[in-house]
Amino acid sequence: MSHVTIPSGRKLRIAAFLAVMGPGVIAGLSDDDPAGITTYSQLGAQFGYRLLWVLVISTFALIVFQDLGARIGVVTRQGLIGLVRQKYGARAGSFSAVALILANLGTMTAEFAGVAAAGQLFGISRYITVPLTGIFISALVLRGTFKKAERVFFILSAVFISYVIAGFMSHPHWGSAFRGMVVPSMPFNRGAINIATATLGTTLAPWGLAFIQSYAVDKRLTRSDLKLLRADVWVGSLLTGIIGFFVIVTCAATLNHEHITNITDASQAARALQPLAGTLAKDIFAIGIIGAALLAASILPLSTAYSISDLTGSPAALDDKFDEAPLFYLTFAAITLVAGGLIMIPGVSLIWILISSQILNAILLLPLLIYMYGIAKDKKLMGEFSSGPRAKALYGAIITLVAICVLAQFWFIFNL
Amino acid sequence: MKRPPVASINTVAKRLVGRSDLLITRKSVRDSLVSLAGLIGRPVVDPDGREIGRLVDVVVRHGEETYPPVSGLIVKVANRKSFINGARISELTPSLITLSSTKINLEPFARRPGESLLDADVLDHQIVDVDGLRVVRTSDLYLAPFNKEIRVVGVDISFVSFLRRLFPGSLSRRPTPDHVLDWASVASLTDTPGVVRTSGTRSALGQLRPADLADLIEDLAGREQGALIEMLDPDLAADALEEMEDDELEGLLRSLSAERSAELLARMEPDESAEVLRDLEDEHRESILSVMETGTAKQLRQLVSFDEELAGGIMTTHILVIKSSATVADALKLLVENRERESSDGVVVVDGKGKLLDHIQTVELIAAQPENLLSELVAKPFPTAVSIDTPIAEVVEEFSNNRGSSIIVIDEKNKPIGRILADDLVDALSKNRGLFSQGGGTRS
Repeated sequence: MSHVTIPSGRKLRIAAFLAVMGPGVIAGLSDDDPAGITTYSQLGAQFGYRLLWVLVISTFALIVFQDLGARIGVVTRQGLIGLVRQKYGARAGSFSAVALILANLGTMTAEFAGVAAAGQLFGISRYITVPLTGIFISALVLRGTFKKAERVFFILSAVFISYVIAGFMSHPHWGSAFRGMVVPSMPFNRGAINIATATLGTTLAPWGLAFIQSYAVDKRLTRSDLKLLRADVWVGSLLTGIIGFFVIVTCAATLNHEHITNITDASQAARALQPLAGTLAKDIFAIGIIGAALLAASILPLSTAYSISDLTGSPAALDDKFDEAPLFYLTFAAITLVAGGLIMIPGVSLIWILISSQILNAILLLPLLIYMYGIAKDKKLMGEFSSGPRAKALYGAIITLVAICVLAQFWFIFNL
Repeated sequence: MKRPPVASINTVAKRLVGRSDLLITRKSVRDSLVSLAGLIGRPVVDPDGREIGRLVDVVVRHGEETYPPVSGLIVKVANRKSFINGARISELTPSLITLSSTKINLEPFARRPGESLLDADVLDHQIVDVDGLRVVRTSDLYLAPFNKEIRVVGVDISFVSFLRRLFPGSLSRRPTPDHVLDWASVASLTDTPGVVRTSGTRSALGQLRPADLADLIEDLAGREQGALIEMLDPDLAADALEEMEDDELEGLLRSLSAERSAELLARMEPDESAEVLRDLEDEHRESILSVMETGTAKQLRQLVSFDEELAGGIMTTHILVIKSSATVADALKLLVENRERESSDGVVVVDGKGKLLDHIQTVELIAAQPENLLSELVAKPFPTAVSIDTPIAEVVEEFSNNRGSSIIVIDEKNKPIGRILADDLVDALSKNRGLFSQGGGTRS
C-alpha cells in the first residue's frame, strides 16, 4: 500500500486556489475578444494615452459586477436568466434570453470574423480557419470533460501575454500612459464619447455576466469557496484591464504617434504595426487576436447554452450527456453553426451584424445590471450575503454611468 | 445528476405504486383545471357581473392536507391591494372569478404563518419533482375544486407551458395538462416556518434513498435548501447529510441555524459528524456544539480533537460494548435497541476491567443459546485492534492482512473506544486523494 502524504498548509492553500480558480479568469479574459481588441486599438490609435482612464473605470466596473455575479451564483446556485424569470416574471426572463441569444449570435460572428481576418494576416484562407475553429471549440466542449475544457481555456488565456510583449516592443512613453490613467480628460466630440462608451460596453459584456454566474453554479462552488472565487474574479478582471492597457499603449505609441487613426478592426491594427514596430510585433499581435477569438468563441455558445437551459428550468452542466441535456447541446451547436455559416457566405457584408449586436449588447446590459442589482439586495434570495448600503450605492453609480453611456450612444446612432 | 425526460401523467402514476389516489388522474378534476398563470390579472366580479378588481395573487394554506386549499385572493381594487377571503368564491373559470355576495370585506393583506402566495412564491420558482429526482421550475400551477374547496392539484413543469404564457389573450390561459405533476409528487420549497408539512409530500420524500436526497439538496441553495431539509424527517435528513460531499455539507451548515445543525449532526454517525465539524471554523463549530446535548457534544469534541491522519480521527465511536459476564440474550437485546445504527453488526465483548476480549457477530449470537454467557463465545479468531494514534497507512495494512470488515480501536489501557469500518477507510483515502487533484467539477 502506498504511503499517504498530505500537502502542508501552504501547498494546500495553493491546491485549493487552483481548484476554484478559473471562472473569473476565463470570464474576464474572454471579454478581451477581437471586438474588444478592436475597440482598444481604436481608442489608442485615435486618442493616444489620453483616454486610458476610461479603461480604468471600465475595469473597475467589471470587477464589481463579475464579483457580484459570482456571489449570486454561489449563494443561490441558480443562473442569472433563471433568477430573472423567478424574480421578474416569465416575460422579463424570456426577453433577456432572446436578446442574449441574438446579441451572442452577433458577437460570435464577430469572433469568427476576428479569426478569419487574423488568419489572412498569415495568408490562410477563412474557408480553412473558420471551419477549423468551429470544430476545435465543438470538440472541446462536446467531447471533453469539465476539467479538460477548463485546462484548455487556461492555455488559451496564456496567449494574451503576446499583447504585453507587443506593448514593450512598441516602446511606449510610460509617463504619459500613467498620466492618462489617473487624469481624466475628455475631448468633447462625438468620436471620443463613442469610443468611451464602446470601451465600457466591450469590457462589461452581458454574456460575460451571465457566464460567470452559470459557471460558478456548474462548477458546484459552495459558500466555503467564495473567498477564493472572489480572489479569482478580481485577478481575472484585473488581467482583463491590464491586457487592454497594453493594447491601447501599443497603438498609442505607434499608430497614434504616426497619425494612423482610421482603424476599423484589430487585424488592421496588427498590419499597421508592421512598419512601425516590426514584423514580429505584427505576428505576435495577430496570434493574440486568434487566441482571444478562440477563447471567446468557446465561452459564448457555452454562456448562451447555460442561459437557455436556465430559462427552461432544468439547468445543464458540461458533464451532462447529450440525452440528459439536449437543449444545452443544441443551443451550443446552433450558435456555432449559424455564426460560422454567416462568415463563410462569399461576399457577405458583416458590418450590420456587428453593429446591431453591439447595439443589442448595450440595450441588454442596462436591464441585466438592474436585475442583478435587484437580486443583490433581495434578502430572500441572498440572505446574509445581500448587499449593504455602500455596495448598493456603488452598483447604483455604475448603473447610472452605463445608462448615460447607452443613452449617449443611442443619441449618436440616431443623429448620424 | 440524471435528468429523465418529463414524465407523462400515466408513467408518473405507474411509478407511484401505493399512491393510486392521485387527484390529477381523475377525469372530473382534469376537466376542471384552471391555469393559475392565466388567471393572474383577470377580473374578479360580484354576482351581478360587476368588476370589483383584478386578481394579483392567490393565497393558499399549507397544512396537513395534501392539496393545499385556497384561503384567499389578493385583488387590486382601485390601485390598492386587498385581501378577499377564499370562502367568498362562488365560481372559478379560466378567465373569471365570481364572488358569492355583493358585500365584500376588503382587508389589507397580511401573510399568516403557513400561507404562501402562488404567483409570488411558487410560480417560476424551483420545486422538487420527487419522482423524477430533480429540481425544476414551475411553469404553471393548476387549481381545481375538490372536497368543497378550491385547491392546488397540479404543477406544470414543461417548457411548452412556459412559452404558452407569453402569448396574449385566451391562448395564455388554456391549460396544457400534458406534463402535469400531481401536487402530491412534488415538494414546494416555499419558506413557511413552523408549519407541519403535508403528510403527502413528506411521505413521498420519505421514500427516497438518502443518496438521491443528498443530490437534490446539493442542487439547491439558501432558503430552498433549508426548506427541503425542514421538510424531511430528521433521521432521514441526517442520513442524507452523511451522503453529501464534504464541502457541500460545510456550505450547508453555514446556512442552517446552529440549533438545526446541532440536531442533524447529533443524529449522524459520530465519525461523519466529527469529520465535517473538524473542517469548520472554531467559532462556528463551538456555536453548534454549545447547543448540542452535553454527552454528544463531549464525544464529538473528543473525536474532533483526534488527528484525521490517525486511526482516532476516522473511527466511529459508536460501538456496542458489553461485559463477558452478560448473556447472549442481553447482547441481542442491545443489538435490537441499536438496530438503526450502521455499526450494529455485532457486539464488542470486554472483561470485568473493560479490556477488549472479542468482537462477536450477530450471526454467532443467533446461533448460540440465549442463556449462554458471552465468555463462552470468546474464541479465535480475535479481532484486529489498533491504538488511536496508528497512522492510516498502517490501518490500511492491517485491513489487507486480515480481510476483516472492521478494526477495533483501543486506548492505552486496552479498552475499546471505537471502530473503523472499511467504508470509513475508503472515505479517508479518497478524501486524501482529492486534495491532489486540481480541477473542480466534482459533479460526476
